[in-house]
Amino acid sequence: MTALLRTTALRVAYGDACVLDRIDLEIARGEFVALIGPNGAGKTTLLQAIAGTAVVCDGHVRIDGHDLAKTPREAKQAIGLAVEPPSLPALLTGRECLALFAGARGLAPIPPATLALGEILSLTPMLDRRIASYSLGMRQKLGITLGLIGEPPLLLLDEPFNGLDPRSALAFKTHLASLVARGDTSVLLATHSLDVAERHATRVVLLMDGRIRRSWDAGELATMREHPGHSLERAMAEA
Amino acid sequence: MLSANGVTQSAPMSVLWHPALRADWLVLQRTGTIAYVRMLGAPVALLASCVIIACGDFDGGYGWCLAASALLALGGSHAIAHQRVLDALERWRLGWCGALPIARVTTAWTLSMVIIATLLVSLAVVEALLLGVSMHAPHREDLPYALTGVGLALMVGTIVATLRALRGGARLHHADGIREPLFALRWLNDARLPHLPDWQRRAALVRWRRGGSFVMVGIVLAAVPMGAPMLEVASVVLLVLSWSWLAVAMRASAEATAGAVRLLGAMPLDIARARTVSFRYPVVVTFCALAWMAVGVALLRRGMLVPAWIVVAGAASLWPVLRILRATRSAKTAT
Repeated sequence: MTALLRTTALRVAYGDACVLDRIDLEIARGEFVALIGPNGAGKTTLLQAIAGTAVVCDGHVRIDGHDLAKTPREAKQAIGLAVEPPSLPALLTGRECLALFAGARGLAPIPPATLALGEILSLTPMLDRRIASYSLGMRQKLGITLGLIGEPPLLLLDEPFNGLDPRSALAFKTHLASLVARGDTSVLLATHSLDVAERHATRVVLLMDGRIRRSWDAGELATMREHPGHSLERAMAEA
Repeated sequence: MLSANGVTQSAPMSVLWHPALRADWLVLQRTGTIAYVRMLGAPVALLASCVIIACGDFDGGYGWCLAASALLALGGSHAIAHQRVLDALERWRLGWCGALPIARVTTAWTLSMVIIATLLVSLAVVEALLLGVSMHAPHREDLPYALTGVGLALMVGTIVATLRALRGGARLHHADGIREPLFALRWLNDARLPHLPDWQRRAALVRWRRGGSFVMVGIVLAAVPMGAPMLEVASVVLLVLSWSWLAVAMRASAEATAGAVRLLGAMPLDIARARTVSFRYPVVVTFCALAWMAVGVALLRRGMLVPAWIVVAGAASLWPVLRILRATRSAKTAT
């Protein structure tokens, strides 16, 4: 089976500092992969490199069979990256921003599924207000909704639960789980919430000092869920 | 600090200088020559223009030259200082240091000291330029008047702008930019990149207001010689305002385009389409400015002003156009 995402010997450096070093990662369709690791491990940079927003020094990224460097448009059709709250344009309204992203993806008008997600996240009442007036939580909700526009097969999420109220966080986790359960969407989630990783992921990957140190498959995660003594927290500390 | 009930509380930092000042300085140093050119370009152009007018021998007589140079210094220094103080306030309040417990007086003190230092340097530059240029000027005996007029105008313009910005700084002008246009040009929007022209227009409006737009109108009106025919007054206003609006709108459009390309970095963006859409609003602004300029020139009946206007408008637009081209090119090679 063709992997939805395959990175080969991926290397990213900022100046002299090597942030990612020969990362080989494969994600199949329908997988929910959680990326964990300490601060500065390179989680965000890995997501950015896969999304094409960080300059890759060496290696390859293939998404849905397309090389990101050679055919970026085709590769990016298959990914959705949740936008970080500070990057949102203050001068547009939420609805205008959704329309901008939908247009960039070749979808017009805003897909009903996106508006439905906005409704689930209680974002709808704010959509016609300018983003400058949004709280952090509202910005986070909008950033998530922008990333999921068009329901691309690979979702890249960087700490998406930061700033979300418990009800919205639960609604979003349920939405993600339903997308993954359909089998045509994969998730790569960078997070420090080990309970989310343990409970929802089908695979957990530990990134440290820019390298993949180890991973836990579905079977190992199931064992952890059954035996509270075998937590991901402890396994990560031992690693 | 311990309160009466023994709970530790954080007190506002008692620093004399706002810590963002040093950060801004480091960013400026590390960005390179372009950052210095962008920072110094407008003030240097303003000071040079003031000196040229003050030493000139124009139709309105030397009294008009003195008054015009002083008024230009007043309006220009007000516009530049107002925009830069508001920009700094926004960056310092909403940026990385926004949550630091820094007293408002520290912010005001730091900005005031920077403005005073800038003012002193500007005055020194004006004096040096006037002394140098006036050696060959037809009215060199009137140099003290020019020095006094331009110097005072620079001080008043800068200080008033700083006070206005510091007083109203908390109410940042993002709200102003959200207004809908009087005439909605729906064809400006492209279905594959909708609302980018709206973003550019609103950014232009915010930038225009930060420059103290209404002050500029007043300054232009005041610069017209006494007893001048109304048609001439109208034409001068049209020529100056069309040029300054074009310059503001082009810079704002370039910034909005760069922001949009960054924002859509992970999207399958049609970069050729993005480039086309990015130029729609600037092209409309250029045509509008040209139309107003043409009306102004027709009223004044001086066709020779057309190439001069086009040259200064082109100079003001060149950098923004290059920035739009570079932003839409870099998106193509982001990977």
